[in-house]
Amino acid sequence: MSSQTATTEELFADDPLAWAGGDYRALHRLGQTELADLQLAALRRRFADLRGELVVLDAMVADTGVEAVETLGDVVPLLFSPEVYKSYPASLLRRKRFDVLTGWLGRLTTVDLSGAGAAAATSIDDWLADLDASTDLRVQHSSVTSGTMSFVPHTHTEVDAMFSVVGARVRGGGDPVPVVWPMIREGRSGIMRCADALAEHVAGGEAGVHAMHPGRMSADVMLLAGQIAAARARGEDVAADPGLLARREEFETLRRESEAAMPGFVERLADTLRGQRVYLMNTWNTLHQLASTGLDRDLHGLFAADSLIEPGGGTKGAHMPGDWQDRVLRFTGAERLQHIYAMTETTALHPMCGEGRYHLEPWTVAFVLDPATDEPLPRTGTQTGRGAFFDLLARTHWGGFRSEDLVTVAYEPCACGRSTPQVHDGIRRLKDVGDVDKINCAATDSAHRAALDHLSGGS
Amino acid sequence: MALMALAVPAVVRGELVEGPLVEFGGRGETGFAVADPAAVVPRLGTRNLALSRELAALDLDDILDYLAELGARLVDNGHLDEAVEQSAGLADTPPGLVRSNYRLLPGLFTREATEEVVAAIGRDVLTGWPERRMADGRTGAVRAFGVRSAHIIAGNSPLIAAMTLVRTAVTRGEAVVKTPSNDPLTMVALARTMIDMAPGHPLTRAVSVAYWKGGDEALERRLYHPAAFDKIVAWGGMASVKHVTRYLGPGLELVTFDPKQSATVLGPEAFEPDALDDVARRLALDVGAFNQVGCVNARVVYAVCDTGAAQDLARRVHAELQALPPTVSTPAGRVDTELRARLRALRTSGFHTVVGGRADEGAVIVSHLDEPVDFAGSLAGRVANIVPVETAEDAARHLDAATQTVGVYPAALRHRLREVLPLVGVQRTVELGCAVSVHPALPQDGFEPARRLVRWVTDEHLPAGSDPLDIVFPPHREESP
Repeated sequence: MSSQTATTEELFADDPLAWAGGDYRALHRLGQTELADLQLAALRRRFADLRGELVVLDAMVADTGVEAVETLGDVVPLLFSPEVYKSYPASLLRRKRFDVLTGWLGRLTTVDLSGAGAAAATSIDDWLADLDASTDLRVQHSSVTSGTMSFVPHTHTEVDAMFSVVGARVRGGGDPVPVVWPMIREGRSGIMRCADALAEHVAGGEAGVHAMHPGRMSADVMLLAGQIAAARARGEDVAADPGLLARREEFETLRRESEAAMPGFVERLADTLRGQRVYLMNTWNTLHQLASTGLDRDLHGLFAADSLIEPGGGTKGAHMPGDWQDRVLRFTGAERLQHIYAMTETTALHPMCGEGRYHLEPWTVAFVLDPATDEPLPRTGTQTGRGAFFDLLARTHWGGFRSEDLVTVAYEPCACGRSTPQVHDGIRRLKDVGDVDKINCAATDSAHRAALDHLSGGS
Repeated sequence: MALMALAVPAVVRGELVEGPLVEFGGRGETGFAVADPAAVVPRLGTRNLALSRELAALDLDDILDYLAELGARLVDNGHLDEAVEQSAGLADTPPGLVRSNYRLLPGLFTREATEEVVAAIGRDVLTGWPERRMADGRTGAVRAFGVRSAHIIAGNSPLIAAMTLVRTAVTRGEAVVKTPSNDPLTMVALARTMIDMAPGHPLTRAVSVAYWKGGDEALERRLYHPAAFDKIVAWGGMASVKHVTRYLGPGLELVTFDPKQSATVLGPEAFEPDALDDVARRLALDVGAFNQVGCVNARVVYAVCDTGAAQDLARRVHAELQALPPTVSTPAGRVDTELRARLRALRTSGFHTVVGGRADEGAVIVSHLDEPVDFAGSLAGRVANIVPVETAEDAARHLDAATQTVGVYPAALRHRLREVLPLVGVQRTVELGCAVSVHPALPQDGFEPARRLVRWVTDEHLPAGSDPLDIVFPPHREESP
């Protein structure tokens, strides 16, 4: 598939920025029919290419009986739920059977994993590091909310295509822009992986990344923390892994250092980046923490007014004051916040426009499903329901994803001038929308979550 | 819209309160309107000593007669018929199963049934002051007094409302029942039947029923306090319990039927050719009875077998689920999209076999490794997970105090397990096939509910002519001549 012989829909899906001749703005101004036709052609291409190559997709086809994709809506039964990315038995992690886990991962990707030396790995960190080193995979792991960690098999090539778009959006063809990263620098969760790509596509290299702490966020520790929280909710203890216990000192040091690092970090930012245009993307609570630390030290308007500040991912459970956005603006000196909508399972940061709508990057097909039936709602007007997406950038894994978000999507062109479908602000988790006054004597996961919230003093 | 909503009255001390109405959302599209909690709830937060006296003066046999007559009136009962119709869209199960559950209600009120509840507490402590001569010489007389309780009941089974009513009457207690949004109807229907049967009777006036949004702090702060109640009895979800804990303090005790899960353990004997059919049918009943909405329903099944045998059992159980009588179990009616997506994910994992579950008929998951699926707590609508294990004792690793019932096959294994499973917290072992049948006069969730719903009072005295100092400070006896 050289670019000389690539069809237009192939180029559109593989490298949207190149397809648009490097004009990011044009990507959001395609006619509705033109975009839908392109998306359908690209989707059919992905389906044809991955059929027979991807065990999980073939199993899904066998299960649903959906053998052909004639319209965008035809793909809906084939969208993966988040469970697909954590459908391995959790004991495999406990037993360190990374060879078996590699086999499981191999069902989800067409990338050849035969060269990976997973059998030797003794931790998730080692396992993922080996995959990084020996394959094009850049697996993104989740945080752990119910005691299980999911693994999404993105590749370096796919993430590259996504961040070349982010680079174009941020730099507009101009010089590299320093990246402010108010977190630990290294890690392999969805957000931590962004730092690597931002270094390459936005900051012009590692020297342009200003990270709070140079350490690594361990996947093993994140899993352990999640399991402890889940076990506490059940009133149990977790028998910690001896290997982790041995590394506890290292983790404790990292935790202490990173907690203490924020004040020094804002001072360093004031010394090195004052007045410069910067790129700063992170979760709401982290941005607020950064801003508060700065404002406490009387640091205001630190960066250039045209800096790009991109909050995404919600509060991550933290309590946020009503004026957190003002505080972030006051500290950074940016004119406005560029909110983004993103999820680990799809390769895109969907930016919010001046009208307060998240514009879906055109390689992301948006579906809205009836939450009660999972049937797709019409792709016209404005629809509210379960958000589901097809990520056309994904060419080594299946890009179809059924989210757990309750979203409102507008399919008609936006008043801002962009024609791409938009997700309204106010995205909620579907499970938070249910009736809390329905009482049942059977214990459920949500009852355990409620218990955890209660015991930890939340909600 | 407001005029169309289903209207649910409240009952305040045996009197019907039909309005003004306030509408609540309920689940899905089905809303309902209830007598305005802002007007009703403040009337529930006071004690009535005169009523307590009347209740205390009731003869136990008269109480049991009252309950027996009430039970007889629950057959062909207009209020219950109405509740069956109105339950569509609100209840966890289809109206047909609500009706089936209602057919079980009269059985809880017969003389035989209520005598068993009496016996569980002790007839003597309910009718007199049985005396015990203690080793130190004193005589202690004991009596069980009724208390005033707030019951936050679960809505998955109408039997919970009836059990609450029987326990309250037998103990001569007073009950304020806060109904849940998945069953705001049954308790009101029962209370209305009491009003029809015996208006003004102390037992009728001892029952109040209301719906309000659980956790409404403005209402609940003024309701839940020791001046109004002795106990709060909470069923099920933490969500309902956590609202309440902030009001607890000296004088106000919390009695919880915690959220639970149940499981099954099958020994290798279950897979012998002449046992297999019976085991599959019994397991289907534990899983599927009343559509698996209860904490007593089986969800995870630990079986001493290999993957192949587990898959064979899964196919048989799936078939037996379809063969259950429609009065006991039906397809779920509405498909839980979340669960269906999870089943689909499992089919692709390579570590599980899923039998059925493409529609709403139920499914049986077989884990190829010896661990349950990570959403075992969300199994519903007749979906079970068979987990092959090497020994029955391996199942104990997965069971804890949140495990209510464990159905076991065969009996010899049950006898072995009942000695060890309680050590990890399990509260009930039962013959396979009988898991969902909970007996109201037996302990539940590790305690004796009826005995928790009374105030245990003692009256004590010494033999005539004794010196109280001998009791207060026994060494005094040796020191004095």
